[in-house]
Amino acid sequence: MKAKRLGLMVLSALLTVMVFAGCSKSNSMGTTAPSEASQDTNTGKSDSKQSVKLKMWGAVPPEAGPQAVMDNFNKAFADQGISIEYERYVNDDQGNMKLETNLLAGNDIDIYVSYTLDGLKKRASGQMALDLTPYLEQDKIDLADSFGGAMATSYNIDGKSYAIPTKFDQFGIVLNKDMFDAAGIPIPTEWTMDEFREIAKKLTHGEGQEKVYGMFFNTQQDIFSSLNYFSVQVLGGDVFYKPGGKETNFTDPTIVKSTRTVADMMNVDKSAPTHVDSVTQKLTQEGMFLSGKSAMTIGPWMIRSIKDKVNFPHTFVTAFAPYPTPEKKANMFTQGGLGDLVSINPKSKNTDAAWTFLKWYATEGMLPLSQGGRVPAYKQFDKDSILQAFISGAEDILDAQTTKVVLIEPKTNYAVPSISNKLPEIRKVLGEELEKIYLANKTTETGLADAKKRADELLK
Amino acid sequence: MKISRQLKTDIVGYTFIAPNLIGFLIFTLFPVAFSVVISFTDWDYTQGFNSMTFNWGKNFVEMWKDEWFVASLINTFYYSFAVVPATVFIALVLAVVIDKYVIGKTPVRLAMFMPYISNIVALSIVWVMMYSPYGPITQFVQSLGVENPPKWLGDFNWAMPAIIVMSIWAGVGYCIMIYTSAIQSLPTEQYEAAEIDGASEVQKFFKITIPMLSPTTFFLVITTFIASFQVFGQIMIMTRGGPGTSTSVLVHYVYTTAFSFYRMGYAAAISWILFIVLFIITIIQWQGQKKWVSYT
Repeated sequence: MKAKRLGLMVLSALLTVMVFAGCSKSNSMGTTAPSEASQDTNTGKSDSKQSVKLKMWGAVPPEAGPQAVMDNFNKAFADQGISIEYERYVNDDQGNMKLETNLLAGNDIDIYVSYTLDGLKKRASGQMALDLTPYLEQDKIDLADSFGGAMATSYNIDGKSYAIPTKFDQFGIVLNKDMFDAAGIPIPTEWTMDEFREIAKKLTHGEGQEKVYGMFFNTQQDIFSSLNYFSVQVLGGDVFYKPGGKETNFTDPTIVKSTRTVADMMNVDKSAPTHVDSVTQKLTQEGMFLSGKSAMTIGPWMIRSIKDKVNFPHTFVTAFAPYPTPEKKANMFTQGGLGDLVSINPKSKNTDAAWTFLKWYATEGMLPLSQGGRVPAYKQFDKDSILQAFISGAEDILDAQTTKVVLIEPKTNYAVPSISNKLPEIRKVLGEELEKIYLANKTTETGLADAKKRADELLK
Repeated sequence: MKISRQLKTDIVGYTFIAPNLIGFLIFTLFPVAFSVVISFTDWDYTQGFNSMTFNWGKNFVEMWKDEWFVASLINTFYYSFAVVPATVFIALVLAVVIDKYVIGKTPVRLAMFMPYISNIVALSIVWVMMYSPYGPITQFVQSLGVENPPKWLGDFNWAMPAIIVMSIWAGVGYCIMIYTSAIQSLPTEQYEAAEIDGASEVQKFFKITIPMLSPTTFFLVITTFIASFQVFGQIMIMTRGGPGTSTSVLVHYVYTTAFSFYRMGYAAAISWILFIVLFIITIIQWQGQKKWVSYT
């Protein structure tokens, strides 16, 4: 009996200890991390003369540019004893979690790329990104001046730069030039949602499995196009919110109009695959557009596939047009932004070397990535050499003129998001209501009104 | 002297189970205990442990006003109360039929068992194709003369039944296996007696087979209930909880709150509600078994 009780006591004591040990250990981890990091910075400085091996994590497949960048760097900086290696992570929930776990766990990663401002914010506030401001000052680099104007500083967090936004994003409707030519429709350089709808209708023909649609919205992967690509041009970057961010903006006439156009094109005109088709057949831009089943598609982020004649054999010429606008207005916003936010891991032992790489990468090393469809943000890059790299290997199937105008040449007034209050939850609400609208379960007006009511409840 | 000897054997005993026990403590008991702690906090795990703040019971109160949680809870009940009885009943009938009337029992049983040992991801993807507008199921329904067949996974009312049918198919093989072994060990006296009395096959099935298999049925109901309350794979692959919230179940919502909303504390609280619900249902079943399970 006694021994049994003793055993129990030992066991419970052990448990208590373990629980508390677990907590206290983690607490100390949290608090000591910054000082550890600064120590590492110091040691990094003294180490930088010996050979340094860096590791970079990004989501672009190595063959689409990063490997060439790494090779160039290793050649150019061999005499300084710095070399770098690239590892790909997949930019989805699991991939990002893997990246964060690795960053939290230690110093295996020196440099990494975030693809959303949300992700960067999280990493900056979680001590997973080094404040680059001192380095930028030391090398006299002005982000706003060199990397896309005021937009660049919108990626600062509490006035500090935790990343260099290296990629310049500018999107537009991707279109099949051969189909436009055959229908005698000139490639639009400026158009309204109504004109867009008419053109899509004209380009639609055929029945059943043979049907060619005018447009494909890809709602299966991204249901927010009516806001994020169309309304944003009128309303600006914070298209989800009313000014101040205390209320959502879903009943704005612009949003209603563009959402209704999308719904009508799917369900009334049948000039675009419905949301049901999109979901149940798991349609993709590649499957629809590149196989000639739709004359237009929502965005050029599948540029790698467009250029890939082996896996997606096609012979038609792809051109680009700016997004149609729900209404005409002076001083419209351009749907665009910066991306590929490159940060340094504060736990890295070689932050100085990492900075050397990052500076080189952002201002000259990045060009090979243009082949994979990424436009460097640094303003000194020559636009024609970007274009050349961008279309290289696909000169016969990419329309150079519209590629340059729509995707490469910078515009003036960008829609820059600044509010992200409860954004994941609000996106979920809006996504559900948009789904109901596109499945014709609700009218556009009631669906968006319900979305606003539910989302505003979350913002309270 | 006696006590120290006792202690000695205890130490030897603990040493023997130590490898397992330590693993259990670290990988099971500690996470379970820890999840109780964090269920009373607000915690975004990407912000480190410093961001953990206690809000006591707020998570547990708030969730009843959370429409996603309530919808997920209802859907979980809907799913389980459809899947479990159907799976068990179909398995019972099939097991008896296979045992009595099928030539080449082993290949048939094996075929039935295949889905159970196959990867749920692969199964889900196959079923997504089956349900697609050009897939065999839609085509079959069309050939029956239905002009506008349901959109299955893209339809608010049909998405859940579609997943339920798939889950029944995936789970029935395991139940058949268990039933088959139970049937093979049934005594034959009762059947012989019934035959002498002139009972029909149907009578024998309902009056003898079902009561005699009741312990097996009880076991299957309890275990499949526990499994079906934790359904995740099919939902994640086939619908991601959509359209709307029509197939959102508790475990999927736990996943969403934890890894899309980064609300670890809230997610832990929901998991504990899931556990409590399961616990209550299991207790009710244990109590209920006195009425219908016979161990003779």
